Amino acid sequence: MAERATSTDSKTLRRRSRKARVVSPPPAPRLRLPKEIRRLQRQAPMYALQGISDLSTRLRDMTGRDVIDVNRLMAVMQFVYQQRELARRGPDYAVDDFGFDAEWTESFLVLFKALYRDYWRVETTGIENVPATGRALLVSNHAGVLPWDGTMIKTAIFAEHPNPRHVRALVASLFMGMPVLSWFLRRTGQTVGHPDDTRRLLERDELVLVFPEGVKGTGKPFKDRYRLRRFGRGGFVSTAIRAGAPIIPVSVVGSEEIYPMVADATPAARLFGLPYFPITPTWPWLGPLGMIPLPSKWRIQFHPPVHTESHSPESANDQHLVMTISDEVRDTIQKGIYDNLKLRRGVFV
Amino acid sequence: MSNPLAAEVARRLATQVPALFGCDVADPVSAIEEMDFVHADTRQSVIGKLVRQLRIDTVVHMAVTVDSAGEDRAAHETNVIGTMNVLAGCAGPSSPVRRLVVKSSQAVYGAAPGDPSFVAEDAAGSDRPAYGLKRDLLEMEQLTQEFSLRTSGCRVSVLRLGYRVSEGTTLGRYLSLPIVPTFAGFDPRLQLLHEDDAAEAVVRGVIQGHEGVFNVAADGIVLLSQAIAIMGGKALPILPPYGRWLGRLALRAAGIDLPEHLADVLTFGSVADCSRLAAIFGWKPAYTTRAVMDSLARGKDVEVIEAPSPPQEYELQVYLQRRRRLARNGHPGAALTVQK
Repeated sequence: MAERATSTDSKTLRRRSRKARVVSPPPAPRLRLPKEIRRLQRQAPMYALQGISDLSTRLRDMTGRDVIDVNRLMAVMQFVYQQRELARRGPDYAVDDFGFDAEWTESFLVLFKALYRDYWRVETTGIENVPATGRALLVSNHAGVLPWDGTMIKTAIFAEHPNPRHVRALVASLFMGMPVLSWFLRRTGQTVGHPDDTRRLLERDELVLVFPEGVKGTGKPFKDRYRLRRFGRGGFVSTAIRAGAPIIPVSVVGSEEIYPMVADATPAARLFGLPYFPITPTWPWLGPLGMIPLPSKWRIQFHPPVHTESHSPESANDQHLVMTISDEVRDTIQKGIYDNLKLRRGVFV
Repeated sequence: MSNPLAAEVARRLATQVPALFGCDVADPVSAIEEMDFVHADTRQSVIGKLVRQLRIDTVVHMAVTVDSAGEDRAAHETNVIGTMNVLAGCAGPSSPVRRLVVKSSQAVYGAAPGDPSFVAEDAAGSDRPAYGLKRDLLEMEQLTQEFSLRTSGCRVSVLRLGYRVSEGTTLGRYLSLPIVPTFAGFDPRLQLLHEDDAAEAVVRGVIQGHEGVFNVAADGIVLLSQAIAIMGGKALPILPPYGRWLGRLALRAAGIDLPEHLADVLTFGSVADCSRLAAIFGWKPAYTTRAVMDSLARGKDVEVIEAPSPPQEYELQVYLQRRRRLARNGHPGAALTVQK
């Protein structure tokens, strides 16, 4: 009896001891469907694809041209499968210190490339001015209510450059405080527009994209289109000089027409804590449909780099030099916009 | 000493220093043979007498509560008034103190959407009005800085320890929930610090005595969603992104009192730049943030710190210690009593 008592004692002691506690809970039993249904589930997309390709050949034989683009369908299927694959990674994926998930971002490029090639028919020139390796600061005009221009510059460099690179854009801190947006922006490689962040990214030899106009550029009315706003205090120039990075001016044409902003509802903006609340011919009248951008014709031009490496890091404090370079970059971008507007035959063609 | 981290620091210091004295309001979690212990409250100015009578040359101030939700006033009392008393005790020309290590926290930066991705030591308390814990910590550090300016003979180091997720901390308990409610639309970057590394940093601060303020946090980050998945939980984004006090209220119902500074961290994330620590200490935390999460998930974190022993065991250890000293020196050592 005494032995029994001590054994229960030690058992309770062991139960109470905090060392042996396992934190992770056991996996919960899952409901499984019958085998046949699961097999059908697995193979259904394949059957569907076979059916569609049969239909496509039959239609081509009948009409003599491609009615269904099978390659496009395959791209969509691939995207869906990739997303499922990514969801299966669990917590074991790598993000860099800024929260950038390269694999996840690349899975979205299929969508962005479709927008780039087929929707906005972007023509890119001067891609050879972007270095294949090493740091550089891309400086661009900013327009359109939502930052699609940043997305398209990123896609242009990933799709057209002989050495595809990820561009890291700098975002106003305001957007980093917004739900969903902050998560998506961080995950796809953007970071806060803070001089410290810019310096760190450039020191890691990244391509950094900056919009010196900020929300003043995206929130300007339609009648002011293609007129650059002020470039602030030229902070991007001093950061580039300190990091010894060349500045590459970028002119984007077409982004102004995606959401023609006819008015700004300031009270609504104040209510939602936004910098501006756009009123376009479709927004907010059509609800979510109003968020679909118009299919304008785009042109992106990368200008030859402005070399700031020749200046010593101390000259970053020289306000005169900084403002001179800032004005030079601004003039290059403005001139590039006018050149590309002349090259464009119409707004939508 | 009643705090596991302080106890761990004492245990590590015991073998490296000639004499060690501990003081706390509560009993220490485990008795250490080389350490003499007195019951003393930093809220009263007993530290000065203690320091002068015992000719103490190094003071490690760890009575700083960071992880106490709700009791703002008590935390203020401990953090600001307590630090003030400790500093007053160490100040003055008659003071033998040559080295002071003060524990602070990464919470001093707070967390906000406009913060740089890596906050450096100089960025604390520059732009926004502070409240609650952040204000207390800022005030405490300011007092420490004033002390270090006034007292040229004393080297002061302030260690801003990163967020820790051992079993007892709020963040650790939050991440261990089976279903973790998160703020909808946010997936912040988390940077953590292992208990081992926290203790090691304090010990190195004491031994090496580098002057200045240092961030101490692990390398790398994990996203909150990753951290939850590593713990085997499910993230449930239900807490409102705006009006976060509502979410905190809901969490309190679930038994987790999330302090305001942690709610900020779980929304916007806070990552410190530890390059100064690496450059001046010549050391960086052994665990990466991912390794900290993994060790928490395996439940191995508990091994680092001994489970609190019951009071009888403490008294027994003190008794045995006195007997050993009696056998060694012929007398048990003078009993030290300090009026509470």
